[in-house]
Amino acid sequence: MRKMRERILYIDLTEQSTKVVEGGELFKKYLGGPGVGSKLLLEECPPRVDPFSPEAPVIFTVGALTAVFPCMVKAFAFFKSPLTGNLGESHAGGHLATALTLAGYGAVVVKGAAEKPSVLRISDEEVKLEQASSLWGVSTFQVEKTLRGSPEGMRSVVSIGRAGENLVYYAGALVDRYHHFGRLGLGAVLGSKKLKALQVTGTRERPLKKADEAKALYEEFHRKIVEGEVMAKYHNLGTPENLLVLNEMGALPTRNFQKPRFEGVEKISGDVYAEAFLRRKISCPGCPVACIHVARLAVPFAPEHEKARREIFTEEFQVPYNYEPMYALGSNLEISDPEGLLRLIFLCEYHALDAMIAGNVLAWATEAYEKGLVSREDSLGVVPRWGDWESYARMLENIVETRNPFYAKLAQGVKAAAEKYGGLDFAMNLGKNGPAGYMTGPAFIVGGLVGARHSHLSNAGYSVDQRALKKPLTPREMAERLVAEENWLYVLYSLGACYFSRRVYTEEAVVKALKAEGVETTVEELKALGRKIFHNLYKFKLQEGFRPSFKDVPGRFFEGETSLGKLEPSQVEEILSHYVKLRRREGLKLVPEEKMLMDLLAPKKSRGEET
Amino acid sequence: MVIGMRFHIEVLHPNRCIGCYNCVYACSRHLYNAVDVNRTAVFVRETGSLENPYHVIACRFCKDPECVKACPQEALSALPEGGISLTPAKCEGCKTYDCVHACKLGALAIDFKAKIPSPIVCDRCGDCAKFCPHNVFKYEEMKE
Ligand code: SF4
Repeated sequence: MRKMRERILYIDLTEQSTKVVEGGELFKKYLGGPGVGSKLLLEECPPRVDPFSPEAPVIFTVGALTAVFPCMVKAFAFFKSPLTGNLGESHAGGHLATALTLAGYGAVVVKGAAEKPSVLRISDEEVKLEQASSLWGVSTFQVEKTLRGSPEGMRSVVSIGRAGENLVYYAGALVDRYHHFGRLGLGAVLGSKKLKALQVTGTRERPLKKADEAKALYEEFHRKIVEGEVMAKYHNLGTPENLLVLNEMGALPTRNFQKPRFEGVEKISGDVYAEAFLRRKISCPGCPVACIHVARLAVPFAPEHEKARREIFTEEFQVPYNYEPMYALGSNLEISDPEGLLRLIFLCEYHALDAMIAGNVLAWATEAYEKGLVSREDSLGVVPRWGDWESYARMLENIVETRNPFYAKLAQGVKAAAEKYGGLDFAMNLGKNGPAGYMTGPAFIVGGLVGARHSHLSNAGYSVDQRALKKPLTPREMAERLVAEENWLYVLYSLGACYFSRRVYTEEAVVKALKAEGVETTVEELKALGRKIFHNLYKFKLQEGFRPSFKDVPGRFFEGETSLGKLEPSQVEEILSHYVKLRRREGLKLVPEEKMLMDLLAPKKSRGEET
Repeated sequence: MVIGMRFHIEVLHPNRCIGCYNCVYACSRHLYNAVDVNRTAVFVRETGSLENPYHVIACRFCKDPECVKACPQEALSALPEGGISLTPAKCEGCKTYDCVHACKLGALAIDFKAKIPSPIVCDRCGDCAKFCPHNVFKYEEMKE
């Protein structure tokens, strides 16, 4: 039965064919998640492929311990990112990881493209591709309602919205209504394949290898999670708690990273939402935390014949909120109207658009407009103004529908927009991904620049800065921490863990957990595996032309204050060069910056020779 | 969890449910040494959309259980303290599953993975309630 988890389902949408392959060795060596995902991506994705070509694969994987221990809940997607042009890696909570596990799959590889808008149904018994033109253009919320049903077994519904259909480079996919594959544009890649939704249903079992050990360990971890301090923050106010904390520290990006503090922060704090809007909390199956805080957004309305009584009826929406969208669409746009902010988050949910990058793009557009780089004609008459959520809402709709060349550029992210219209200095991105809300210091910047998926969660650079606030770290020490953290996180992800549980799954805890599954290993072996996984992911990035370079850091990062004071470019450069050295010492073929240009030209030449 | 203790369990606050499935996982771990959302004696049912509250269901330990009366083989019997027990030898996996249909709450499921599919009976270990982080269940130890 354990073998179930080691099966790989290959689906070709063009041929409408499927096959199942035993992945034994692959899973033994790489456990699951990004370990297995990175190998499959290297195998399946033709070098330098157009991310929207049918040949570009989408790969979903689950962890080695999915559902076996608490917080082992994440599903992982690998693809070529239209936004960055290299690695697309995204993690989603919700039911997907468990549903795939119980359907008996450890990985799913989707290739080809459907001819018409389609829905893919995967269950233990069958895989079906159904035409679904009637769902094209329909909101993610409606799709979830359509495909949820009353499942026998664990069911997951993944869908794209208009953003994905229209190939917005940072379109995501909504997972089980409240969760996301965010950031690097999985939604657009699914859109290019005309795949509107996936419905996965699992009814098998996930047996415990050494049941008594596993049960005792489950209880130990459960207690730590529920009663301990390590995850307390996620239970209560949730990550929105960060708004006040980061503001206090002077690390809350405000007005497109111009300022580290927001005057209106009190109006959009975690407490405000908890008191005025919080309706319920939602968990992923297998996690007792419920970090997803869902707000009730009630919009007054009255049917025509009831005009006079507009106040008594509302149409109600459930909007999950957490720190990152609240910084990106809140403080960074200086929005202090809590309901306005919720409406912007709502729009991103509805169309399945990455909320962080959306905020990022709007912030750049506001400055570009102020500076006269773009005209009112470009913006189709909308005047972007700090704090004015209504204009931003109209702009979001224009981006999702890519209404004119300007909005079509915004749909490709800040870097692309600034390359065309100017303003690269304040086009806030790290590796072309939108930075998270942490003006903490240099480790955050380097971490985002070098992380495999250019996320603050790649290597927790912000927490390195926070540590440096307590006790200064040398640039080399910072680089070492970034390397060690990212390597180790890839071990945790390959088990299926959620980032938030990283303090529960210490090195010893992971060794014990794997032992209960019959896998004997050591901390050293695991660390080597984490490194190997990172290298495999980077192999893909390098193959697609990515090189970490200081030149790509927007100047704005050095203009304002951070919690570690005003930064000098040399601070970032120094950490970066240590980082590159450390990675090269590990055997990763990262060329130093000076050789970069030559190296970038070289592969193209050799490709030319081949053809 | 302490082995052998038995509990009275009641789904008292279903609307507090966060959909973590801890109860279901705990139950299937206890009964089958596996994670299995179909082979369990406690259920978290989804109804049409995750926007709707979860529907949490567990045996109510009826004094005069309809499932018992429905079984033509008398494979189920009522316990004096409420609730039921199964005599596996008597259950033939009758395919009509009269016991399941008799429980209008939907608290009885069949173990379809067994050689002879038969009803899954709650043995009152209390794990569902103990692992529930949101106090959906009321539970107390039963005095023998
Ligand atoms: S353990 Fe409690 S909160 Fe979690 S699914 Fe079961 S009843 Fe709901």
